[in-house]
Amino acid sequence: MKYSSNHMEQYIPAKEFVDTIIIPLIPFHFSADAEMKKLAFQAEVATIFAGEIEKELSGRVMLIPPYYYVKPLEQEVEVKRLNTWVQNMETQPFTNFIFLTFDPAWKKCEKDLTGNLLWFPSIQSGDVHASETHHLITDQVAQVSELIRSFW
Amino acid sequence: MSEKKQQVSRRQFLNYTLTGVGGFMAAGMLVPMLRMAVDPVLQPSTAGDYANVGLSVDDITDTPQRVDWKVDQVDGWYESKVSRSAWVFKDDKNEILALSPVCTHLGCVVSWEGSDNYPNEFFCPCHNGRYEKDGTNIPGTPPLAPLHVYDQKVENGILYLGDAKPR
Repeated sequence: MKYSSNHMEQYIPAKEFVDTIIIPLIPFHFSADAEMKKLAFQAEVATIFAGEIEKELSGRVMLIPPYYYVKPLEQEVEVKRLNTWVQNMETQPFTNFIFLTFDPAWKKCEKDLTGNLLWFPSIQSGDVHASETHHLITDQVAQVSELIRSFW
Repeated sequence: MSEKKQQVSRRQFLNYTLTGVGGFMAAGMLVPMLRMAVDPVLQPSTAGDYANVGLSVDDITDTPQRVDWKVDQVDGWYESKVSRSAWVFKDDKNEILALSPVCTHLGCVVSWEGSDNYPNEFFCPCHNGRYEKDGTNIPGTPPLAPLHVYDQKVENGILYLGDAKPR
């Protein structure tokens, strides 16, 4: 399920079946021209990626709006803020929190996060609409769904 | 003498010309109106369109296989390509059956023999929903309705699938 009004309508009566939250962690910054294109591309891929995982497992996961932050990651601030997000979501019967990211910086503060961090090496460049990118994402989604199922 | 030679009088000539031109003008105005009135009838309907799923009928066995294809969909703001999937196989009566893989419980994607514990069944990984091979939901598991079935037709030995409908 996604954070949209019709999905919320579906979620509320079926709460006990939906126990997993997916939070994409997406960095951006405008301070260096060289990296802007790459980061924007990664953000696009991350959004598509998370959307595809949601499609595959839609009955049990809730994909919430992505967590955007300015790169480089300010660990303390962001971890604290992200944990308040989780605290808020814990008021509903969610038990698994899965963070998806292409940014390796999160790896260092993984233990402070309330939830499971899944880091993936990103596709560096290309075209999101190209069929190679499409195949790559589909393949990865199948494997990641498998991984998420292992948490259940 | 000129009156005898003149087979069409000036008055008649003007009458004919005016009638002709007037007729054209009236037709010019009426045809678009008529066209507008019957337009909805002429529109090709998008519902019930069949898509070639790239599977030859000869390749369909009695083991369900997954096919994926794309259809154009206008969805409020966007016109986009939407991917669809189906599990296709031949049933006991040797008829082709195309089942939608969307679990009728909460919409996860079910797969054929998705769990080793339940051979010969469709399995939904989200809440262990199970379906018989013909798509009937197994009582005692979360789904309350059978898997939807795609409209289908066969042309030149190729399978075409339409919309998935509940049974």
